[in-house]
Amino acid sequence: MEKGRMRNLTMTAALNTALREEMRRDETVIVMGEDIGVYGGVYGVTIGLQREFGPDRVRDTPISEMAIAGMALGAALGGLRPVAEIMYCDFLAHAADAIVNNAAKWRYMSGGQYALPLVVRSPAGGGGGTAAQHSQSLEAWFTHIPGLKVVMPSVPRDARGLLKAAIRDDNPVVFIEHKHHYTYKGEVPAEEEIIPLGVADVKRAGTDLTVVSWSRHLTLCLEAAEILAAEGISLEVVDPRTLQPLDLATICQSVAKTGRLAVVHEAVLFGGFGGEIVAQVVQECWGDLKQPPLRIGAPFCPIPYSEPMESFVIPQVTTIVDRLRAYLA
Amino acid sequence: METKDRELLLHFYEDMLRIRFFEEKVRDVLLPQRLFRGSSHLYIGQEAIAVGVTHALRDDDYVISTHRGHGHALAKGVDPYAMFSEIMGRTTGCCQGYGGSMHLADASRRFVGEDPVIGSNSPIAAGLALAVKQRGSDQVVANYFGEGAVNAGAFHEAANLAALWQLPVLFLCENNLYAISVPVEQSSAIQDLENRACSYGLAGRRVNGQDVMAVYNAAREAVAATRQQSRPSYLVFDTYRFEGHHTADKETYRPAEEAVEEFRARDPVHLLEKAMIDDHTVDIPTTIAYRDRVREEIDAAFDRAREAPWPAPEQALRFVYTESEVR
Repeated sequence: MEKGRMRNLTMTAALNTALREEMRRDETVIVMGEDIGVYGGVYGVTIGLQREFGPDRVRDTPISEMAIAGMALGAALGGLRPVAEIMYCDFLAHAADAIVNNAAKWRYMSGGQYALPLVVRSPAGGGGGTAAQHSQSLEAWFTHIPGLKVVMPSVPRDARGLLKAAIRDDNPVVFIEHKHHYTYKGEVPAEEEIIPLGVADVKRAGTDLTVVSWSRHLTLCLEAAEILAAEGISLEVVDPRTLQPLDLATICQSVAKTGRLAVVHEAVLFGGFGGEIVAQVVQECWGDLKQPPLRIGAPFCPIPYSEPMESFVIPQVTTIVDRLRAYLA
Repeated sequence: METKDRELLLHFYEDMLRIRFFEEKVRDVLLPQRLFRGSSHLYIGQEAIAVGVTHALRDDDYVISTHRGHGHALAKGVDPYAMFSEIMGRTTGCCQGYGGSMHLADASRRFVGEDPVIGSNSPIAAGLALAVKQRGSDQVVANYFGEGAVNAGAFHEAANLAALWQLPVLFLCENNLYAISVPVEQSSAIQDLENRACSYGLAGRRVNGQDVMAVYNAAREAVAATRQQSRPSYLVFDTYRFEGHHTADKETYRPAEEAVEEFRARDPVHLLEKAMIDDHTVDIPTTIAYRDRVREEIDAAFDRAREAPWPAPEQALRFVYTESEVR
């Protein structure tokens, strides 16, 4: 393979590539979930995997989220590296017992006797009219649980490199994708790339304001940065990529440079992960801050169905631009 | 009686005594002296099940247990000293004090662990069995649960998948008549819990859980079928919880008319003892010698554990994640 060559891939293709590469590399990697076999997953992430690796390693399950997650844990205890797909992150509520009460704690409760190399992938987010039960952004639930890692890629290159790292990680990883971001395209190296968990990435360098965001909203912040750049406002956009572990150092470095912080996420603001980042930055870099940090997120309501209401609730590029402009004014 | 049968019975006897005396130590010494925190769920009265089942298993077969798992652990060969230490929160515990009575685990004995979240351990058992099958191994996974668990959704999901994918799981239901306080008649639409197996295309079997030989014979057949044909088996053991749900249970829910004495007459340790004496497998002095020896073993394990060191407080932060994050 030619070094340095890049491919332009969608998020879906990048994730599919990661799964395919890891399954070729390690025969203990298996994939299980609803409609992931011949159908290739409701968002197509597992397309073609069953044809290449067979029905034993790419397993269609019944509608049994408790068993999907619990069996992934059991399979990990038995020496496999399972990647379970939960069709919508809202349905992680079903699987949460296995993830939160068991997978996150099995190593700890046993005094370190076990490693739990399992990944639970699930699409989150709204923006397509799937309403209140298929649109939530629930990452904060899982960042609050010691023993879990939480990964939320924003661009295809990260999606591929982080998923590969997650599969090779010996701890349970909740890997949250965005269901309206799967067609987003970006450059992905043709050669193998592992992106370690817990390392943030400065997606755009700037001087006036540090904007921390992740998943689809990171790319909305990049759009906002482009618009504001035309007005002479320079945003530095930082993507933590993994919320647990969190690379606070990179965020603080950026805040030390810009003196200002805004956190932007799709999830409900109250109790959202943005609050944790703000709190940590305030504690660590109080002296660097020129004004109180800003948080942008969804108001305290479920995701509505009708388009005008949904667009009102989920922060849009225009909202982000207006809020940041006002913040800096 | 043939020598090998005699030896087997004496093995049963010794293993059952070990569980009985261990649990009595928890009840009569650890509890009044407040040597453990939280609660302990005693296995007294159910010893024949763990012992009969474990003797039908191989050393490398997996066991996944419940909150009421001291007996399962001891039968699988977990060291009583490591268990007492764990229950008392010492670093010499099988989980170094991180788990306690409800989370005993010993990977070296393939005692995968206790899972006190009712119903949740069956998917884990099924997943382990999937790994076993995928590896081409002929190990089996023994999944203990109480009759309270069969009403949990996770149990149903796991049983269905284990049957659908033909996974080597032994579903072992210990029907001790109570889920904490609620009797089985008030929790299950059917009382013949072995019939639950029909809905997964399995042949459920009901076994007298007080008779260790009956347990052993049923378990041996089930293990053989599960191992050879790589498919689940489903056994329901009739038993009785002699003690409260846990060590602080006042047992106000037991009806006055409950024939406790009738159940107590079916004490599995006494039944085995009596059967062995009646058919001259052993004489009374031999049983006394066994009792003395096992009691001494348990006493010694407890005395040692009691002197074992406490963990340093900051050790609490270990084992949240593996040290080597990427292979």
